[in-house]
Amino acid sequence: MRLLLFIFLFFGMLQVQANVEKQDSVAQKTVVRLDTTKVDLRGFDKSKLEAHSKETDFIYDDVPAPNLSFWDRFWRWFWRLIGQALSNKVSGGLIKYLAIIALVGLVVFIVLKIIGADLKIFSRKSQIVEVPYNESDDNIHEINFNEEIEKAIGNANYRLAVRLLYLRTLKKLSDKDLIHWLPEKTNQTYISEINDSDKKKEFSKLTHQFEYVWYGEFFIDKENFNAIKDTFERFNLHSS
Amino acid sequence: MEPEIFNERTDLTELNQAVDQIRQTLSSIIIGQKETIDFLIAALLADGHILLEGVPGVAKTLSAKLVAKSIDASFSRIQFTPDLMPSDVLGTSVFDPRSSSFEYRKGPIFGHIILVDEINRAPAKTQSALFEVMEERQITVDGHTYQMDEPFMVLATQNPIEQEGTYRLPEAQLDRFLFKIEVKYPTLEEEIIILQNQHQQKLEVEINAVKAVLSIDKIKKCRAIIKALHVEPKLIEYAARITHETRNNKSLYLGASPRASLAMINSAKAIAAMQGRDFVTPEDIIKVAVPVLAHRIMLTPDKEMEGLTPADIVGQIIQKLEIPR
Repeated sequence: MRLLLFIFLFFGMLQVQANVEKQDSVAQKTVVRLDTTKVDLRGFDKSKLEAHSKETDFIYDDVPAPNLSFWDRFWRWFWRLIGQALSNKVSGGLIKYLAIIALVGLVVFIVLKIIGADLKIFSRKSQIVEVPYNESDDNIHEINFNEEIEKAIGNANYRLAVRLLYLRTLKKLSDKDLIHWLPEKTNQTYISEINDSDKKKEFSKLTHQFEYVWYGEFFIDKENFNAIKDTFERFNLHSS
Repeated sequence: MEPEIFNERTDLTELNQAVDQIRQTLSSIIIGQKETIDFLIAALLADGHILLEGVPGVAKTLSAKLVAKSIDASFSRIQFTPDLMPSDVLGTSVFDPRSSSFEYRKGPIFGHIILVDEINRAPAKTQSALFEVMEERQITVDGHTYQMDEPFMVLATQNPIEQEGTYRLPEAQLDRFLFKIEVKYPTLEEEIIILQNQHQQKLEVEINAVKAVLSIDKIKKCRAIIKALHVEPKLIEYAARITHETRNNKSLYLGASPRASLAMINSAKAIAAMQGRDFVTPEDIIKVAVPVLAHRIMLTPDKEMEGLTPADIVGQIIQKLEIPR
């Protein structure tokens, strides 16, 4: 087997050597010759060039197409204006600096927003007093209590009348600076704000009545209502 | 007009007697912690679960054990550990060679009052075993559903998550707790009384002497009364508005679910009944707002780093909203 492989490789190498020698002999016979063919130069026809230049298809002037919309014509006009302004030395420089200022301002704004800075310091102080969340129509300083209470009694709506009596008492206490009225405060907070122990006790009783009638929705007739009304009026009389 | 005429609508005498008895029992042993005791009773009456959080040694487990002891009901205790498996809680099916079938062996979750001690030491896999039972009062194992007996109440304790070896409970599980109560350190005066009681060996005697003061039937009756209490429509709107505000608050990453609104109303009813009223006032809703909402909301990372707590945000929301009157 080894002998066969040796014979195959030996004759193979002899064949390669024979091919290389053959190529060398062909290269030695090649001769270089000059191309002496006559060439005729051709030019453009000037008359034809002129004729083509007059054709509308080859005129590329900036003329708006007849079917452009108003909006397209506006933008065409706008960008031409910008182009003219930028090409002008004076206005072009001004626009460039304005653009840089606007860009810097935008970057500063984004950074302030990201770090969560209070941007209200840049704005004018609002003249409008901030209204607490969802403040109802029942601002005790705006209700005509006498009229509304009479109306509620006239309609036999004693529950509403007790509520109005309580709100009127809160207003009176607030007017005398015995409590500091805020819609977010609870009735117990108002009780704790009253320093006079007798008034506190009486007001607690009124609060109790109001809560049973308003939150508890206990039914009260005219007789019961009159009794409650008396306690409210007595308290208001003593407080004044 | 005397206020007595307002008291005729609902008879709360039995309920108030029961509340007084359990309050007295708990207060005689747990020094201070009056608010914690009130919330424990409110959760029991409102059919809710309670999570007590505090550093080790502030009587969290003792409080839960005493609640269980003062009720004439079955009691189980499960110590949550990192290697606890769901089957250790719920139970497992065991092959019975005599009948050649699988028999379900109930886990410690079957009971009336379940004390889950150090709940946040078990991984999420085990926590999830409690999801169904806490919300639906039933468990499903191997295709069979087992109903829990009423009352069913989970009293869980946990250390703050900053403590070694604790996990944060999944939001879905936290939402199932009616209240999360933070048990604080006692005051100096309270601590002196605790030490004196311990020194005179009173504490152990008192704990052993605690007897059940509430029967299961009584609890069921009280719960029925509380469910029927009156809530003025504007107060329902007020509770919903508080919850809704948590969803639009910039300081919060996660707001509270509608389950929180329901919890607020139910627990406010219990608080009202405990004060002898058969109707809810805004104060009742405000009282329960923090323990109901604080564990159901999540702060944004920046607010957390500023040192704010969920309770602070709930407080801010309440201060912003107008009281319906």
